[in-house]
Amino acid sequence: MTKILTKHFDSEPKFHELETYRKLGGYESLKKALGMERAALLAEVKKSNLRGLGGAGFPTGLKWETVPSEDKVPGPRFVVVNADESEPGCYKDRILLTRAPHQLIEGLLIASYVIGAKDSFIFIRGEYQNQYDILEKALAEADQAGLLGAVKIHLMRGAGAYISGLDTALLETMEGKKAWPRQPPPFPTVAGLMAKPTVVNNVETLSMLPFIVREGGEAFAKIGGPKSGGTVVFSISGSVERPGLYEFPMGVKLRDVLLACGGPLPGRKLKGVIPGGTSMPPLMEKDLDIQLDFDSVRAAGTFLGAGGMIVLDDTMDAVEIAHNIERFLTHESCGQCTPCREGSNWSERILHRLLDGKGEAADIDNLSRVGENITGKVICALGDTVGMVLKGYIGRYPEDFKKRVKSNG
Amino acid sequence: MTPDAALAVKNAFTPEQEAALVAWTKKYPYTNLGLIEALRAVQDWHRKVEPAAAARVAEIFGMPFNHVWGVATFFPTFTRWKTGEKRVGICHGLTCYLAGSSKMEKCLEKTLGVPKKTATPDGKLSWEPMECIGACEQGPALQVNDRLVGKATEESISKLKDMK
Repeated sequence: MTKILTKHFDSEPKFHELETYRKLGGYESLKKALGMERAALLAEVKKSNLRGLGGAGFPTGLKWETVPSEDKVPGPRFVVVNADESEPGCYKDRILLTRAPHQLIEGLLIASYVIGAKDSFIFIRGEYQNQYDILEKALAEADQAGLLGAVKIHLMRGAGAYISGLDTALLETMEGKKAWPRQPPPFPTVAGLMAKPTVVNNVETLSMLPFIVREGGEAFAKIGGPKSGGTVVFSISGSVERPGLYEFPMGVKLRDVLLACGGPLPGRKLKGVIPGGTSMPPLMEKDLDIQLDFDSVRAAGTFLGAGGMIVLDDTMDAVEIAHNIERFLTHESCGQCTPCREGSNWSERILHRLLDGKGEAADIDNLSRVGENITGKVICALGDTVGMVLKGYIGRYPEDFKKRVKSNG
Repeated sequence: MTPDAALAVKNAFTPEQEAALVAWTKKYPYTNLGLIEALRAVQDWHRKVEPAAAARVAEIFGMPFNHVWGVATFFPTFTRWKTGEKRVGICHGLTCYLAGSSKMEKCLEKTLGVPKKTATPDGKLSWEPMECIGACEQGPALQVNDRLVGKATEESISKLKDMK
Protein backbone atom coordinates (compact mmCIF):
# COMPACT_ATOMS: atom_id res chain seq x y z
CA MET A 1 0.00 0.00 0.00
CA THR A 2 1.41 3.37 -1.01
CA LYS A 3 2.26 5.62 1.87
CA ILE A 4 3.80 9.06 1.72
CA LEU A 5 3.60 10.79 5.05
CA THR A 6 3.61 7.82 7.40
CA LYS A 7 5.91 5.60 5.33
CA HIS A 8 8.69 5.53 7.93
CA PHE A 9 6.53 5.68 11.05
CA ASP A 10 6.76 1.97 11.87
CA SER A 11 10.41 1.41 11.01
CA GLU A 12 12.00 4.67 12.20
CA PRO A 13 11.27 5.58 15.81
CA LYS A 14 13.49 8.66 15.53
CA PHE A 15 11.95 10.06 12.34
CA HIS A 16 11.24 13.27 14.28
CA GLU A 17 14.95 13.96 14.63
CA LEU A 18 16.83 15.85 11.97
CA GLU A 19 19.58 13.27 11.65
CA THR A 20 17.19 10.42 10.87
CA TYR A 21 15.02 12.57 8.65
CA ARG A 22 18.03 13.62 6.56
CA LYS A 23 19.39 10.07 6.42
CA LEU A 24 16.12 9.11 4.70
CA GLY A 25 16.44 11.87 2.13
CA GLY A 26 14.91 14.68 4.15
CA TYR A 27 15.51 18.26 2.99
CA GLU A 28 16.76 17.00 -0.40
CA SER A 29 13.47 18.17 -1.89
CA LEU A 30 14.02 21.63 -0.45
CA LYS A 31 17.44 21.73 -2.07
CA LYS A 32 15.93 20.63 -5.37
CA ALA A 33 13.12 23.18 -5.05
CA LEU A 34 15.48 26.07 -4.35
CA GLY A 35 17.26 25.23 -7.61
CA MET A 36 14.01 25.40 -9.59
CA GLU A 37 11.99 28.30 -10.96
CA ARG A 38 9.08 29.18 -8.73
CA ALA A 39 6.66 28.95 -11.64
CA ALA A 40 7.89 25.44 -12.41
CA LEU A 41 7.26 24.38 -8.81
CA LEU A 42 3.77 25.84 -8.89
CA ALA A 43 3.13 23.89 -12.10
CA GLU A 44 4.19 20.65 -10.37
CA VAL A 45 1.86 21.31 -7.43
CA LYS A 46 -1.01 21.99 -9.83
CA LYS A 47 -0.24 18.83 -11.76
CA SER A 48 -0.21 16.82 -8.53
CA ASN A 49 -3.93 17.41 -7.83
CA LEU A 50 -2.98 18.06 -4.22
CA ARG A 51 -6.04 19.31 -2.39
CA GLY A 52 -6.35 21.01 0.95
CA LEU A 53 -6.43 18.25 3.53
CA GLY A 54 -7.61 20.46 6.38
CA GLY A 55 -11.18 19.80 5.35
CA ALA A 56 -12.11 22.08 2.47
CA GLY A 57 -10.39 20.11 -0.29
CA PHE A 58 -9.53 23.20 -2.31
CA PRO A 59 -6.82 22.54 -4.94
CA THR A 60 -3.56 23.74 -3.39
CA GLY A 61 -1.95 24.86 -6.65
CA LEU A 62 -5.00 26.98 -7.55
CA LYS A 63 -4.92 28.58 -4.12
CA TRP A 64 -1.26 29.49 -4.49
CA GLU A 65 -1.85 30.83 -7.96
CA THR A 66 -4.25 33.49 -6.65
CA VAL A 67 -1.47 35.14 -4.64
CA PRO A 68 -0.70 38.34 -6.58
CA SER A 69 2.85 38.59 -7.89
CA GLU A 70 5.39 40.88 -6.25
CA ASP A 71 5.34 43.38 -9.10
CA LYS A 72 1.56 43.75 -8.77
CA VAL A 73 1.45 43.81 -4.98
CA PRO A 74 4.85 44.60 -3.52
CA GLY A 75 5.61 44.01 0.15
CA PRO A 76 5.54 41.04 2.46
CA ARG A 77 3.49 37.90 1.91
CA PHE A 78 3.08 35.03 4.32
CA VAL A 79 2.55 31.31 4.56
CA VAL A 80 0.62 30.17 7.61
CA VAL A 81 0.42 26.55 8.69
CA ASN A 82 -2.93 25.72 10.17
CA ALA A 83 -2.12 23.33 13.02
CA ASP A 84 -5.25 24.28 14.94
CA GLU A 85 -6.78 20.83 14.62
CA SER A 86 -9.93 20.85 16.79
CA GLU A 87 -12.64 19.01 14.88
CA PRO A 88 -13.96 16.13 16.99
CA GLY A 89 -12.60 12.93 15.48
CA CYS A 90 -9.48 14.53 14.01
CA TYR A 91 -6.06 13.93 15.49
CA LYS A 92 -3.88 13.32 12.43
CA ASP A 93 -2.04 16.63 12.76
CA ARG A 94 -1.13 15.80 16.34
CA ILE A 95 0.56 12.59 15.25
CA LEU A 96 2.12 14.06 12.09
CA LEU A 97 3.61 16.87 14.22
CA THR A 98 4.85 14.40 16.82
CA ARG A 99 6.40 11.94 14.39
CA ALA A 100 7.38 14.09 11.40
CA PRO A 101 7.95 17.75 12.31
CA HIS A 102 10.70 18.10 9.72
CA GLN A 103 8.44 16.84 6.95
CA LEU A 104 6.16 19.79 7.71
CA ILE A 105 9.02 22.28 8.06
CA GLU A 106 10.47 21.17 4.73
CA GLY A 107 7.06 21.52 3.08
CA LEU A 108 6.58 24.93 4.65
CA LEU A 109 9.97 26.10 3.38
CA ILE A 110 9.11 24.91 -0.13
CA ALA A 111 5.77 26.73 0.00
CA SER A 112 7.43 29.86 1.40
CA TYR A 113 9.87 29.83 -1.52
CA VAL A 114 7.11 29.51 -4.11
CA ILE A 115 5.02 32.26 -2.49
CA GLY A 116 8.01 34.48 -1.73
CA ALA A 117 7.37 34.58 2.02
CA LYS A 118 10.17 35.71 4.31
CA ASP A 119 8.08 35.28 7.44
CA SER A 120 6.07 32.12 7.87
CA PHE A 121 3.97 30.95 10.76
CA ILE A 122 2.91 27.74 12.39
CA PHE A 123 -0.30 28.39 14.30
CA ILE A 124 -0.81 25.46 16.64
CA ARG A 125 -3.66 24.89 19.06
CA GLY A 126 -2.68 25.61 22.65
CA GLU A 127 -3.69 22.14 23.78
CA TYR A 128 -0.86 20.66 21.69
CA GLN A 129 1.87 21.85 24.06
CA ASN A 130 3.81 18.61 23.59
CA GLN A 131 3.78 19.15 19.84
CA TYR A 132 4.72 22.82 20.28
CA ASP A 133 7.84 21.67 22.14
CA ILE A 134 8.65 19.17 19.39
CA LEU A 135 8.30 21.86 16.72
CA GLU A 136 10.44 24.28 18.71
CA LYS A 137 13.18 21.69 18.93
CA ALA A 138 12.91 20.72 15.26
CA LEU A 139 13.06 24.36 14.19
CA ALA A 140 16.18 24.88 16.29
CA GLU A 141 17.76 21.81 14.67
CA ALA A 142 16.88 23.02 11.18
CA ASP A 143 18.13 26.51 11.96
CA GLN A 144 21.42 25.20 13.31
CA ALA A 145 21.88 23.14 10.16
CA GLY A 146 21.33 26.28 8.08
CA LEU A 147 18.22 24.85 6.43
CA LEU A 148 15.84 27.74 7.08
CA GLY A 149 17.75 30.10 4.80
CA ALA A 150 16.14 33.51 4.62
CA VAL A 151 12.81 32.32 5.98
CA LYS A 152 11.90 33.06 9.57
CA ILE A 153 9.41 30.55 10.93
CA HIS A 154 7.34 31.81 13.85
CA LEU A 155 5.46 29.57 16.25
CA MET A 156 2.20 30.81 17.71
CA ARG A 157 -0.36 29.14 19.96
CA GLY A 158 -4.12 29.46 20.00
CA ALA A 159 -6.35 29.83 23.03
CA GLY A 160 -8.89 27.04 22.89
CA ALA A 161 -11.39 28.19 20.26
CA TYR A 162 -12.41 25.65 17.61
CA ILE A 163 -13.33 28.42 15.19
CA SER A 164 -9.71 29.59 15.10
CA GLY A 165 -9.11 26.59 12.84
CA LEU A 166 -11.07 28.24 10.04
CA ASP A 167 -8.57 30.12 7.86
CA THR A 168 -9.96 33.64 8.16
CA ALA A 169 -10.76 33.21 11.87
CA LEU A 170 -7.25 31.89 12.34
CA LEU A 171 -5.86 35.08 10.82
CA GLU A 172 -8.05 37.17 13.13
CA THR A 173 -6.77 35.19 16.12
CA MET A 174 -3.18 35.71 14.99
CA GLU A 175 -3.88 39.43 14.77
CA GLY A 176 -4.92 39.41 18.42
CA LYS A 177 -8.64 39.63 17.85
CA LYS A 178 -11.71 37.55 18.62
CA ALA A 179 -11.81 34.63 16.19
CA TRP A 180 -14.61 36.00 14.04
CA PRO A 181 -14.49 34.62 10.50
CA ARG A 182 -14.16 37.15 7.71
CA GLN A 183 -16.61 37.29 4.84
CA PRO A 184 -14.58 36.75 1.65
CA PRO A 185 -13.79 38.18 -0.82
CA PRO A 186 -11.09 39.22 -0.53
CA PHE A 187 -9.67 35.78 0.12
CA PRO A 188 -6.60 35.44 2.34
CA THR A 189 -4.33 34.92 -0.68
CA VAL A 190 -5.15 38.52 -1.65
CA ALA A 191 -5.65 40.08 1.79
CA GLY A 192 -4.79 37.75 4.63
CA LEU A 193 -2.61 38.33 7.68
CA MET A 194 -2.42 42.09 8.29
CA ALA A 195 -4.16 42.43 4.91
CA LYS A 196 -1.07 41.04 3.13
CA PRO A 197 -1.27 38.15 0.65
CA THR A 198 -1.31 35.00 2.78
CA VAL A 199 -1.49 31.30 2.02
CA VAL A 200 -3.06 29.25 4.80
CA ASN A 201 -2.45 25.51 4.43
CA ASN A 202 -3.02 22.56 6.70
CA VAL A 203 -0.22 20.49 8.28
CA GLU A 204 -0.98 17.42 6.17
CA THR A 205 -1.20 19.40 2.92
CA LEU A 206 2.21 21.03 3.36
CA SER A 207 3.77 17.77 4.52
CA MET A 208 2.97 16.30 1.08
CA LEU A 209 5.21 18.82 -0.71
CA PRO A 210 8.60 17.13 -0.21
CA PHE A 211 7.26 14.04 -2.00
CA ILE A 212 5.73 16.09 -4.82
CA VAL A 213 8.97 17.96 -5.42
CA ARG A 214 11.04 14.78 -5.27
CA GLU A 215 8.85 12.52 -7.42
CA GLY A 216 7.02 15.09 -9.52
CA GLY A 217 3.40 16.17 -9.60
CA GLU A 218 2.38 13.47 -12.01
CA ALA A 219 3.64 10.65 -9.79
CA PHE A 220 1.65 12.10 -6.89
CA ALA A 221 -1.51 12.49 -8.97
CA LYS A 222 -1.24 8.88 -10.15
CA ILE A 223 -1.39 7.58 -6.58
CA GLY A 224 -4.81 9.11 -5.98
CA GLY A 225 -8.15 9.32 -7.74
CA PRO A 226 -9.09 11.42 -10.78
CA LYS A 227 -9.23 14.83 -9.10
CA SER A 228 -7.73 14.14 -5.69
CA GLY A 229 -4.05 13.32 -5.87
CA GLY A 230 -1.83 11.37 -3.51
CA THR A 231 -2.82 9.86 -0.22
CA VAL A 232 -5.09 10.76 2.65
CA VAL A 233 -4.46 10.16 6.33
CA PHE A 234 -7.41 9.06 8.42
CA SER A 235 -7.45 9.33 12.18
CA ILE A 236 -9.88 6.61 13.18
CA SER A 237 -11.82 6.21 16.41
CA GLY A 238 -15.16 5.00 17.67
CA SER A 239 -16.34 1.43 17.29
CA VAL A 240 -13.09 -0.07 15.99
CA GLU A 241 -10.65 -2.65 17.29
CA ARG A 242 -7.53 -0.75 16.26
CA PRO A 243 -8.04 3.02 16.49
CA GLY A 244 -5.17 5.07 15.12
CA LEU A 245 -3.68 6.72 12.06
CA TYR A 246 -4.12 5.09 8.64
CA GLU A 247 -2.77 6.35 5.34
CA PHE A 248 -4.39 5.25 2.09
CA PRO A 249 -4.31 6.38 -1.52
CA MET A 250 -7.11 8.86 -2.23
CA GLY A 251 -10.08 6.90 -3.49
CA VAL A 252 -9.65 3.93 -1.15
CA LYS A 253 -12.91 2.09 -0.53
CA LEU A 254 -14.62 2.65 2.80
CA ARG A 255 -14.93 -1.13 3.14
CA ASP A 256 -11.15 -1.53 2.99
CA VAL A 257 -10.60 1.18 5.58
CA LEU A 258 -13.00 -0.55 7.97
CA LEU A 259 -11.23 -3.86 7.38
CA ALA A 260 -7.88 -2.31 8.19
CA CYS A 261 -8.98 -0.76 11.48
CA GLY A 262 -11.38 -3.51 12.55
CA GLY A 263 -14.66 -1.69 12.62
CA PRO A 264 -17.31 -2.00 13.80
CA LEU A 265 -16.42 -3.91 16.99
CA PRO A 266 -17.19 -7.64 17.02
CA GLY A 267 -20.84 -8.41 17.61
CA ARG A 268 -21.94 -4.92 16.67
CA LYS A 269 -23.70 -3.77 13.53
CA LEU A 270 -22.48 -0.83 11.50
CA LYS A 271 -24.68 2.22 12.03
CA GLY A 272 -22.64 4.66 9.98
CA VAL A 273 -19.22 6.16 9.49
CA ILE A 274 -18.48 9.83 10.07
CA PRO A 275 -15.90 10.32 7.35
CA GLY A 276 -14.02 13.45 8.32
CA GLY A 277 -14.90 14.81 11.75
CA THR A 278 -18.27 15.35 13.43
CA SER A 279 -19.28 18.19 11.11
CA MET A 280 -19.68 15.64 8.31
CA PRO A 281 -22.90 13.60 8.27
CA PRO A 282 -22.23 9.86 8.31
CA LEU A 283 -21.79 7.52 5.38
CA MET A 284 -24.06 4.49 5.57
CA GLU A 285 -23.85 0.73 4.97
CA LYS A 286 -24.83 1.31 1.32
CA ASP A 287 -21.76 3.52 0.88
CA LEU A 288 -19.23 0.82 1.78
CA ASP A 289 -18.02 0.59 -1.78
CA ILE A 290 -17.73 4.25 -2.59
CA GLN A 291 -14.28 5.67 -3.10
CA LEU A 292 -13.06 7.98 -0.40
CA ASP A 293 -11.94 11.09 -2.22
CA PHE A 294 -13.30 14.63 -2.04
CA ASP A 295 -15.70 14.39 -4.96
CA SER A 296 -17.04 10.85 -4.42
CA VAL A 297 -17.79 11.49 -0.75
CA ARG A 298 -19.53 14.70 -1.69
CA ALA A 299 -21.64 12.81 -4.20
CA ALA A 300 -22.66 10.48 -1.36
CA GLY A 301 -24.11 13.46 0.51
CA THR A 302 -21.36 14.29 2.95
CA PHE A 303 -17.74 15.51 3.03
CA LEU A 304 -14.32 13.93 3.32
CA GLY A 305 -13.39 16.72 5.72
CA ALA A 306 -10.16 16.33 7.60
CA GLY A 307 -10.07 12.55 7.75
CA GLY A 308 -11.36 12.27 11.31
CA MET A 309 -13.25 9.02 10.92
CA ILE A 310 -15.61 7.88 13.65
CA VAL A 311 -17.23 4.48 13.28
CA LEU A 312 -20.73 4.28 14.73
CA ASP A 313 -22.46 1.04 15.69
CA ASP A 314 -25.94 -0.11 16.64
CA THR A 315 -25.38 0.45 20.37
CA MET A 316 -25.19 4.18 19.70
CA ASP A 317 -28.20 6.48 19.46
CA ALA A 318 -28.52 9.12 16.73
CA VAL A 319 -30.26 11.62 19.04
CA GLU A 320 -27.46 11.37 21.58
CA ILE A 321 -24.88 11.78 18.82
CA ALA A 322 -26.64 14.77 17.29
CA HIS A 323 -27.03 16.31 20.74
CA ASN A 324 -23.33 15.90 21.46
CA ILE A 325 -22.38 17.53 18.16
CA GLU A 326 -24.86 20.40 18.52
CA ARG A 327 -23.69 20.99 22.09
CA PHE A 328 -20.17 21.29 20.74
CA LEU A 329 -21.24 23.69 17.98
CA THR A 330 -23.22 25.82 20.43
CA HIS A 331 -20.15 26.12 22.62
CA GLU A 332 -17.92 26.93 19.66
CA SER A 333 -20.21 29.27 17.70
CA CYS A 334 -18.35 32.57 17.67
CA GLY A 335 -21.56 34.57 17.98
CA GLN A 336 -21.05 36.76 14.94
CA CYS A 337 -24.01 35.56 12.83
CA THR A 338 -27.39 35.51 14.56
CA PRO A 339 -28.77 32.34 12.88
CA CYS A 340 -25.82 30.25 14.10
CA ARG A 341 -25.49 31.85 17.53
CA GLU A 342 -29.19 31.39 18.36
CA GLY A 343 -29.93 28.38 16.19
CA SER A 344 -27.18 26.17 17.53
CA ASN A 345 -28.43 26.83 21.03
CA TRP A 346 -32.05 26.15 20.09
CA SER A 347 -31.05 22.88 18.44
CA GLU A 348 -29.15 21.78 21.50
CA ARG A 349 -32.08 22.58 23.76
CA ILE A 350 -34.61 20.77 21.58
CA LEU A 351 -32.34 17.73 21.35
CA HIS A 352 -31.88 17.85 25.10
CA ARG A 353 -35.64 17.82 25.50
CA LEU A 354 -35.85 14.74 23.28
CA LEU A 355 -33.20 13.00 25.38
CA ASP A 356 -35.12 13.95 28.52
CA GLY A 357 -38.19 12.13 27.23
CA LYS A 358 -40.13 15.38 26.95
CA GLY A 359 -40.01 15.65 23.18
CA GLU A 360 -43.05 16.15 21.00
CA ALA A 361 -43.59 15.34 17.35
CA ALA A 362 -43.34 19.04 16.45
CA ASP A 363 -39.79 19.08 17.86
CA ILE A 364 -38.43 17.05 14.98
CA ASP A 365 -40.00 19.40 12.43
CA ASN A 366 -38.73 22.36 14.38
CA LEU A 367 -35.21 20.96 14.40
CA SER A 368 -35.29 20.62 10.62
CA ARG A 369 -36.71 24.10 10.24
CA VAL A 370 -34.10 25.67 12.52
CA GLY A 371 -31.38 23.89 10.57
CA GLU A 372 -32.71 25.07 7.22
CA ASN A 373 -32.67 28.63 8.50
CA ILE A 374 -28.97 28.47 9.32
CA THR A 375 -27.21 26.54 6.56
CA GLY A 376 -26.27 28.88 3.73
CA LYS A 377 -27.28 31.96 5.69
CA VAL A 378 -24.13 32.51 7.71
CA ILE A 379 -20.53 33.55 7.06
CA CYS A 380 -18.69 30.34 7.81
CA ALA A 381 -18.84 26.57 7.66
CA LEU A 382 -19.48 26.16 11.39
CA GLY A 383 -22.93 27.66 11.01
CA ASP A 384 -23.62 25.61 7.90
CA THR A 385 -22.73 22.56 9.94
CA VAL A 386 -25.37 23.25 12.59
CA GLY A 387 -28.06 22.67 9.99
CA MET A 388 -26.23 19.95 8.09
CA VAL A 389 -25.84 17.81 11.21
CA LEU A 390 -29.56 18.07 12.04
CA LYS A 391 -30.61 17.20 8.52
CA GLY A 392 -27.98 14.47 8.31
CA TYR A 393 -29.03 12.61 11.45
CA ILE A 394 -32.81 13.13 11.22
CA GLY A 395 -32.72 12.03 7.57
CA ARG A 396 -30.56 8.97 8.14
CA TYR A 397 -31.97 7.76 11.46
CA PRO A 398 -35.63 8.82 11.58
CA GLU A 399 -36.53 5.88 13.87
CA ASP A 400 -34.10 7.02 16.57
CA PHE A 401 -35.79 10.41 16.59
CA LYS A 402 -39.38 9.11 16.49
CA LYS A 403 -38.60 6.79 19.40
CA ARG A 404 -37.85 9.83 21.55
CA VAL A 405 -41.18 11.51 20.95
CA LYS A 406 -43.97 11.14 23.52
CA SER A 407 -46.98 9.44 22.07
CA ASN A 408 -50.10 11.58 22.19
CA GLY A 409 -52.18 11.27 25.33
CA MET B 1 -11.09 54.98 37.25
CA THR B 2 -10.93 55.01 41.05
CA PRO B 3 -7.46 55.31 42.64
CA ASP B 4 -7.78 51.71 43.84
CA ALA B 5 -8.59 50.44 40.37
CA ALA B 6 -5.72 52.42 38.86
CA LEU B 7 -3.38 50.93 41.42
CA ALA B 8 -4.61 47.41 40.61
CA VAL B 9 -3.77 48.00 36.95
CA LYS B 10 -0.36 49.44 37.80
CA ASN B 11 0.48 46.53 40.09
CA ALA B 12 -1.05 43.77 37.97
CA PHE B 13 2.35 42.25 37.20
CA THR B 14 5.82 41.84 38.69
CA PRO B 15 8.72 43.58 36.90
CA GLU B 16 9.76 40.21 35.39
CA GLN B 17 6.24 39.61 34.12
CA GLU B 18 6.11 43.12 32.68
CA ALA B 19 9.35 42.38 30.82
CA ALA B 20 7.93 39.11 29.50
CA LEU B 21 4.82 40.90 28.24
CA VAL B 22 6.91 43.55 26.53
CA ALA B 23 8.90 40.75 24.90
CA TRP B 24 5.65 39.38 23.38
CA THR B 25 5.05 42.79 21.76
CA LYS B 26 8.38 42.37 19.93
CA LYS B 27 8.37 38.67 19.13
CA TYR B 28 6.46 38.82 15.83
CA PRO B 29 6.66 41.17 12.80
CA TYR B 30 3.66 43.14 14.13
CA THR B 31 2.97 44.08 17.76
CA ASN B 32 -0.63 42.84 17.83
CA LEU B 33 0.42 39.32 16.77
CA GLY B 34 1.76 38.78 20.29
CA LEU B 35 -1.49 39.49 22.13
CA ILE B 36 -2.86 35.94 22.41
CA GLU B 37 0.49 34.63 23.62
CA ALA B 38 0.72 37.49 26.14
CA LEU B 39 -2.72 36.65 27.51
CA ARG B 40 -1.69 32.99 27.68
CA ALA B 41 1.21 34.10 29.89
CA VAL B 42 -1.18 36.06 32.12
CA GLN B 43 -3.44 33.02 32.46
CA ASP B 44 -0.41 30.93 33.43
CA TRP B 45 0.75 33.39 36.10
CA HIS B 46 -2.61 34.32 37.63
CA ARG B 47 -4.51 31.18 36.60
CA LYS B 48 -7.20 33.59 35.43
CA VAL B 49 -7.42 36.88 33.53
CA GLU B 50 -8.91 39.76 35.51
CA PRO B 51 -9.94 43.16 34.18
CA ALA B 52 -6.98 44.91 35.87
CA ALA B 53 -4.51 42.52 34.23
CA ALA B 54 -6.19 42.92 30.85
CA ALA B 55 -6.06 46.69 31.27
CA ARG B 56 -2.31 46.59 31.90
CA VAL B 57 -1.81 44.29 28.88
CA ALA B 58 -3.82 46.79 26.84
CA GLU B 59 -1.50 49.60 27.94
CA ILE B 60 1.58 47.56 27.07
CA PHE B 61 0.19 46.66 23.64
CA GLY B 62 -1.16 50.15 22.98
CA MET B 63 -4.68 48.82 22.50
CA PRO B 64 -8.01 49.93 23.96
CA PHE B 65 -9.02 47.99 27.07
CA ASN B 66 -12.30 46.88 25.54
CA HIS B 67 -10.46 45.19 22.68
CA VAL B 68 -8.23 43.17 25.01
CA TRP B 69 -11.14 42.39 27.33
CA GLY B 70 -13.20 41.24 24.36
CA VAL B 71 -10.42 38.86 23.35
CA ALA B 72 -9.81 37.67 26.91
CA THR B 73 -13.48 36.78 27.37
CA PHE B 74 -13.83 35.16 23.94
CA PHE B 75 -11.29 32.36 24.19
CA PRO B 76 -11.89 29.34 26.46
CA THR B 77 -8.24 29.21 27.59
CA PHE B 78 -8.72 32.46 29.47
CA THR B 79 -10.88 32.27 32.58
CA ARG B 80 -12.46 34.63 35.09
CA TRP B 81 -12.44 31.84 37.67
CA LYS B 82 -9.12 30.77 39.13
CA THR B 83 -8.00 27.41 37.81
CA GLY B 84 -5.93 24.99 39.84
CA GLU B 85 -2.16 24.96 39.36
CA LYS B 86 -2.92 21.82 37.46
CA ARG B 87 -5.83 22.48 35.15
CA VAL B 88 -7.30 19.12 34.23
CA GLY B 89 -9.39 18.74 31.11
CA ILE B 90 -11.63 15.79 30.32
CA CYS B 91 -12.62 15.67 26.68
CA HIS B 92 -16.33 15.32 25.93
CA GLY B 93 -16.13 15.41 22.14
CA LEU B 94 -18.14 12.74 20.36
CA THR B 95 -15.69 9.83 20.50
CA CYS B 96 -14.77 10.54 24.11
CA TYR B 97 -18.44 10.92 25.01
CA LEU B 98 -19.24 7.57 23.41
CA ALA B 99 -16.28 6.08 25.28
CA GLY B 100 -17.71 7.17 28.64
CA SER B 101 -16.52 10.71 29.38
CA SER B 102 -19.63 11.45 31.48
CA LYS B 103 -18.67 8.69 33.91
CA MET B 104 -15.13 10.03 34.09
CA GLU B 105 -16.47 13.52 34.85
CA LYS B 106 -18.24 12.07 37.88
CA CYS B 107 -15.04 10.28 38.85
CA LEU B 108 -13.09 13.56 38.64
CA GLU B 109 -15.65 15.34 40.79
CA LYS B 110 -15.51 12.59 43.39
CA THR B 111 -11.73 12.11 43.37
CA LEU B 112 -10.78 15.79 43.42
CA GLY B 113 -13.71 16.65 45.70
CA VAL B 114 -14.72 19.78 43.80
CA PRO B 115 -17.30 20.56 41.12
CA LYS B 116 -16.10 21.47 37.64
CA LYS B 117 -14.38 24.83 37.16
CA THR B 118 -13.58 25.13 40.86
CA ALA B 119 -10.08 24.78 42.26
CA THR B 120 -9.41 22.53 45.22
CA PRO B 121 -9.04 24.46 48.52
CA ASP B 122 -5.23 24.19 48.33
CA GLY B 123 -5.38 25.64 44.81
CA LYS B 124 -3.51 22.70 43.31
CA LEU B 125 -6.13 21.19 41.01
CA SER B 126 -9.23 22.02 39.05
CA TRP B 127 -11.10 20.10 36.38
CA GLU B 128 -13.47 20.89 33.54
CA PRO B 129 -14.96 19.19 30.50
CA MET B 130 -13.24 20.34 27.32
CA GLU B 131 -14.14 20.29 23.67
CA CYS B 132 -12.20 17.85 21.47
CA ILE B 133 -8.54 17.84 22.52
CA GLY B 134 -7.45 15.78 19.51
CA ALA B 135 -6.80 12.43 21.15
CA CYS B 136 -9.85 10.44 20.07
CA GLU B 137 -7.92 7.18 19.85
CA GLN B 138 -7.34 7.40 23.62
CA GLY B 139 -10.85 8.45 24.57
CA PRO B 140 -12.07 9.53 26.98
CA ALA B 141 -8.95 11.67 26.83
CA LEU B 142 -7.45 13.48 29.78
CA GLN B 143 -5.07 16.43 29.71
CA VAL B 144 -3.26 18.52 32.30
CA ASN B 145 -2.08 22.05 31.53
CA ASP B 146 -2.38 21.59 27.76
CA ARG B 147 -0.51 18.32 27.75
CA LEU B 148 -2.19 15.03 26.90
CA VAL B 149 -2.07 12.51 29.74
CA GLY B 150 -3.89 9.69 27.95
CA LYS B 151 -7.04 7.72 28.59
CA ALA B 152 -9.08 8.82 31.58
CA THR B 153 -9.62 5.90 33.92
CA GLU B 154 -10.33 5.67 37.61
CA GLU B 155 -6.67 4.82 38.00
CA SER B 156 -5.24 7.66 35.92
CA ILE B 157 -7.55 10.13 37.68
CA SER B 158 -6.49 8.85 41.12
CA LYS B 159 -2.88 9.65 40.18
CA LEU B 160 -3.56 13.31 39.32
CA LYS B 161 -3.00 14.50 42.89
CA ASP B 162 0.53 13.11 42.98
CA MET B 163 1.44 14.14 39.46
CA LYS B 164 4.49 16.34 39.21
